[in-house]
Amino acid sequence: MAVDKKMPIMIVDDYNTMLRIMKNLLRQLDFENIEEASDGSAALQKLKSGHFGLVISDWNMQPVTGLDLLRSVRADAQLKHLPFIMVTAESKTENVITAKQAGVSNYIVKPFTADTLKTKMESVLGPF
Amino acid sequence: MSRIAVTPMTTFAPHIDEAQAYLDKVIASLHALDRREKQPLIGILEYLSQYISSTRGEVAALRTTVADPVALSQASDELEEIVTETANATNTIMSVAEDIEALSRTVDDPLAGSLLVAATRIYEACAFQDVTGQRITKVVRAVQHIDQKIGLLAGLCGTGSASSAATIKEVARSGDQALLNGPQLAATAQTQDDIDRLFGN
Repeated sequence: MAVDKKMPIMIVDDYNTMLRIMKNLLRQLDFENIEEASDGSAALQKLKSGHFGLVISDWNMQPVTGLDLLRSVRADAQLKHLPFIMVTAESKTENVITAKQAGVSNYIVKPFTADTLKTKMESVLGPF
Repeated sequence: MSRIAVTPMTTFAPHIDEAQAYLDKVIASLHALDRREKQPLIGILEYLSQYISSTRGEVAALRTTVADPVALSQASDELEEIVTETANATNTIMSVAEDIEALSRTVDDPLAGSLLVAATRIYEACAFQDVTGQRITKVVRAVQHIDQKIGLLAGLCGTGSASSAATIKEVARSGDQALLNGPQLAATAQTQDDIDRLFGN
């Protein structure tokens, strides 16, 4: 099935610059419907009130981390199947394993390239 | 039988300078005793007294030179300022990259393609601000931790504020908190390929 490029995508990061970078890279991939949040708590509220097709979240945020957000999403009956990509500087093995056990769909380590973002999105959503 | 003529200490946990003064009194009293077997004990106690004295001197010197709390606080402020200034500069660079991308939509290929690639590479490079910001935040926390530890040591040695020492608590990180470490050093960090292998991609 073709990827709907009009689907809302939630990007979550406490660095405004990263949100801006992610938004520009997604726009280059023709994804224009992008919502932003600066921590896991704000993101979860928005996710519950919308019909998002993908979450791309940082891990290291306060007070609610990306891992907390991921667990909340997977524990929510309405959101549990939502594709979730973690984009983070946390690259230790235990981080990757923990995220995988929590149900993350894919994992991108910062800094990343536009190609890496596209590849990981395609592995989650299908080719576009 | 001879007795040591020193009044017992009334406090269970005396301050270090009180303890040292008491120790010196004990040593003086031991010297007055007419017992041959006192010598090894006097030697040990004198060594302890000298050790306490030199440690206090070293900590006092450390507090006023290397680990001056004002200098450490300023160092933290300077590092945080670097993060702010870098963020501002990065936003300016991002704005220019966005202008270049917008310009790419007004011209034909191959120039359009080249401009878009250039803008994309600038976006990718600007992610450095996030990573370096996290690294600097780690250094700021380390400096603040050193400041607290030196303060604690100075308080214990009677060369600084004892009250500040009492408020410092070591917080052991466990569970999810132990997973918040920020960027790893390039030499030991895992690459995207390493992550992909772990992830089974």
